[in-house]
Amino acid sequence: MSNFYHMPVLPKPDAKKVTINVDGADVEVPEGTNLVEALKTIGIDTPHFCYHQDLPVSGNCRQCMVETDGPRGMGLAIACYTPVRAGMKVATDRSSDKVKQARQAVMEFQLANHPLDCPICDKAGECSLQDNYMAAGRHESRMREDIGKLYKGSPEFRHEDAKGQERGGKHVDLGPTVILDQERCILCDRCVRFMRSVAGEEQLYINQRGDHAFLSTFPGMELKHDYDLNVTDICPVGALTGKHFRFRQRVWNLSKTETIDPFDSLGANITVEHNDGQAWRIMPRRNPEVNKSWISNRTRLEYQKLSKDRLTAGSFQKAEVPLAQAVARAGELVRGARKVAVVASGTLTLEDNAALQALVAGLDKKAELFSGSWAKVGSPDGIAQSGDPVGNRLGLKLLGISENLDELVARAKEFDVLLVAGHDLWALDAQKAKALEAIPERIVLSPWHDATTAKATLSVGVRAWAEVRGTMVNCQGRIQMLNAAPILPSPDLEPVWQVVSSIGKLGWTSELDAYKAAQAGIPALAGINYRGIGSQGRLLEGVVA
Amino acid sequence: MARIVPRTEMTLVEKAYIPEIARGLKVTMGHFLKGFFKPESIPVKHYPEVEPFVPRDYRSRHRLMKRPDGEPRCVACFMCATACPANCMTIEATSSDDDRIEKKPSKFEIDQLVCVFCGLCVEACPVDAIRMDTKKMAFAADKRETFKVGLEDLMDWDPKDYPESDIQSQKAPGGTLNAQARKEWGLQ
Repeated sequence: MSNFYHMPVLPKPDAKKVTINVDGADVEVPEGTNLVEALKTIGIDTPHFCYHQDLPVSGNCRQCMVETDGPRGMGLAIACYTPVRAGMKVATDRSSDKVKQARQAVMEFQLANHPLDCPICDKAGECSLQDNYMAAGRHESRMREDIGKLYKGSPEFRHEDAKGQERGGKHVDLGPTVILDQERCILCDRCVRFMRSVAGEEQLYINQRGDHAFLSTFPGMELKHDYDLNVTDICPVGALTGKHFRFRQRVWNLSKTETIDPFDSLGANITVEHNDGQAWRIMPRRNPEVNKSWISNRTRLEYQKLSKDRLTAGSFQKAEVPLAQAVARAGELVRGARKVAVVASGTLTLEDNAALQALVAGLDKKAELFSGSWAKVGSPDGIAQSGDPVGNRLGLKLLGISENLDELVARAKEFDVLLVAGHDLWALDAQKAKALEAIPERIVLSPWHDATTAKATLSVGVRAWAEVRGTMVNCQGRIQMLNAAPILPSPDLEPVWQVVSSIGKLGWTSELDAYKAAQAGIPALAGINYRGIGSQGRLLEGVVA
Repeated sequence: MARIVPRTEMTLVEKAYIPEIARGLKVTMGHFLKGFFKPESIPVKHYPEVEPFVPRDYRSRHRLMKRPDGEPRCVACFMCATACPANCMTIEATSSDDDRIEKKPSKFEIDQLVCVFCGLCVEACPVDAIRMDTKKMAFAADKRETFKVGLEDLMDWDPKDYPESDIQSQKAPGGTLNAQARKEWGLQ
C-alpha cells in the first residue's frame, strides 16, 4: 500500500464552471473537483465508504462506481478519484444498470462477513454501511445460512462460535480511548490515513491481505494521540468506538445543538448532542476554514464537566442561598461599594463581556474593569487547536478591554468589592490570586464549584458555555455563534449577561440587547446580526492583519 | 349510507307507563331475592378470591427472559424503548461479563403507569428477551414509584409456571431443559 495519496479538490464558491453530461442531461459543475463532489453540487449523492473530504483519497472501497466515457466507450470508474473534465459523459445508478449492479456487488462483498450486529452496534443510526445498503444494496441475500460467517482477520482473536461460524475479535483494546471491533471493520483505511496525514503519527495499519486483512496498531504500539477519538467519527461502521461514549446512548435518541469550543481561541465548531436534559457527547462540525472535520480529545470530553460539580444556587458567607437572593445581594454590594474591581473573561461571550462593560460604565468612576488570564498559552497544533485556552481573547481586545489582571493584583488594596466572572483565578495562579483576598467582598459568578468560588464571600451560579446563546471572536478574527443546548442542571440558572444586568440594573431582557451593546463597541460588527453569522461563522474585515 | 330504521309503535300497556315500571322492578327484585337466598346460583366471577382464566397470549405484565446461567437475554439494544409509543422504558447498558456477549442492561425499568400494554416492545425485540405472558394483570400499590418495575422484578419468574412447550422459558435456571442448555452454552 502506497503511503501517499492526493487530497481531494473540493468545490470553492468562486470556482470556474464546466459543463458535463450526467445521465443524459448537460449540467454545470465546478472545475477540477472529483465526481463525488461535482455530483453533490447538483444534488446526486454517491454512496462511498473510504472517501472523506478532509482525508487523502485512497479509492479502495469501490462503492462510488459510476460510468464515464473513455477511449473504449462507457466504463466503470470510481467517482472519488475521477476528476471532472469539460464535456465528459457520466452515468450514475439513475440511468445505468451496470452501475447499480457494480454497487450491489461491492456491497455484497462488504457484507459477506460483516456481523449482523446492528442492534448492539453503537454506530447504528449513523452508519454508512446501513445507509448505503438501503440505497444500493442487494436486498435478497445469496449467502448460505448454514455456513454463516467465515471471518478470518487477526489469528490472535480467531475463534469458532456456538453455531460453528468463524469469528474474530469483538473488543480489541487499541489504547486508552478507543476499542476496535475487527469483525465490523470494512478496511476503508480512513483511520490509517487520518493518523498518517492529519495526526502525523502512524500508529494504525492494515495487517495481512485479502480476506485475512485486519486493522491493528503496529506491534508493541497503542493508539494514543491527542486527536485519536476522531477515528471513531470517520469510521464508516461501528468498528472503532470511543470508550467514553460506548454503550451510553443510541444515536437516534440524541438531539443536536450547534456551538463552538470556548476553551481554545480557534473555536473548533462542534455539536453538543443531548437527550433528557443531559449532554452525552460532543461531535465535530465541519468547518473547512476552522477545524475541518476534527476536534481534539480535550474538546470532545468537555461535555463531561457540564454535569459535574455544578453551582446551581448561590452561596453567601458559606451558606447556600437561592439564586435570586444571591443576585439581589450582589447588586446591593456592588452599588453600595466604595470602589469595585470587575474582572472580565475571555472564556465568556461578547455578550457577557459587553454586560460587564456596561455595568462598569453605569457605576461611573466607582468601578474599574480588568481582564486577562493567567492560563498558559501553548502553540498551535496545526489541526484544530490554537493552543490559547482563552477562547474570546480577540473579542475582548475588540471591545477595548485591556489585559491588566496583574495591575489589579498590585492595586488590590484600593478596592472593597471584587466581581469575577468566568475565571478560576485561584486554580490558575493561587500565589498571585492571594493578593485579591485583601478585597473584603469577593463576588464570583461561576458555573462550577471551583477554587475561586471557595474563596468567594458571595458566589452566584450561572449557565455554562453549552447552555448560553452568544458570540465569540476566534484567533482568525472570525465571529462564531454559541447556541444553548437544553441541558440546564437547574432551571433557575441565568447566563452571565443576565445576572450582570440584574446587578447593574441594565434592564436587558435578551442576549440581543447584549449583542447590540457589543456591536456599539466594535465597529467591525456593524450590520452583522446572529443570522448573518450563521453556522460557519463570519470573518470580520480588518480585524486580523 | 344512511338507513331509516322504523320505530315500533308502543302498545296501550306500554303507553300507560306504570305497568312497565312494575315489570322492570320485578326483574330487579327477582335478582335481588335470588342473590339474597340462593347466591350460589348467580353466574359471577369470584375475583380476587378465585383467579380468573387468562390466556397465555393475553398482553399482561412484562418479564425478561433468562439465559441458561440466569443472566438476562437482553442485549440492551434499545429497540423496545425505541418502539415504545408511551416512552415508558428506561434502559442503561453496560458491557457484559461474558466475552461472547457485547452488552447487557445495567438498568431496565418499565413504568407500568405509563405503559399502554401494546406489546410493541415484544414485537421489536430481536433476541426474544422481553415477553408479556406472565398472566399478571392486576396491579395495586400506594406509591407511584412502586409501579416502576426493575431488572430484578422483571426476571423474577419460575419456569414451572410456564408450559413444557415453552422451550425458551424451560432453558432458564430451574427449567426442565436447563441442564442441556447449560451444556450447549458451554457451562458445566
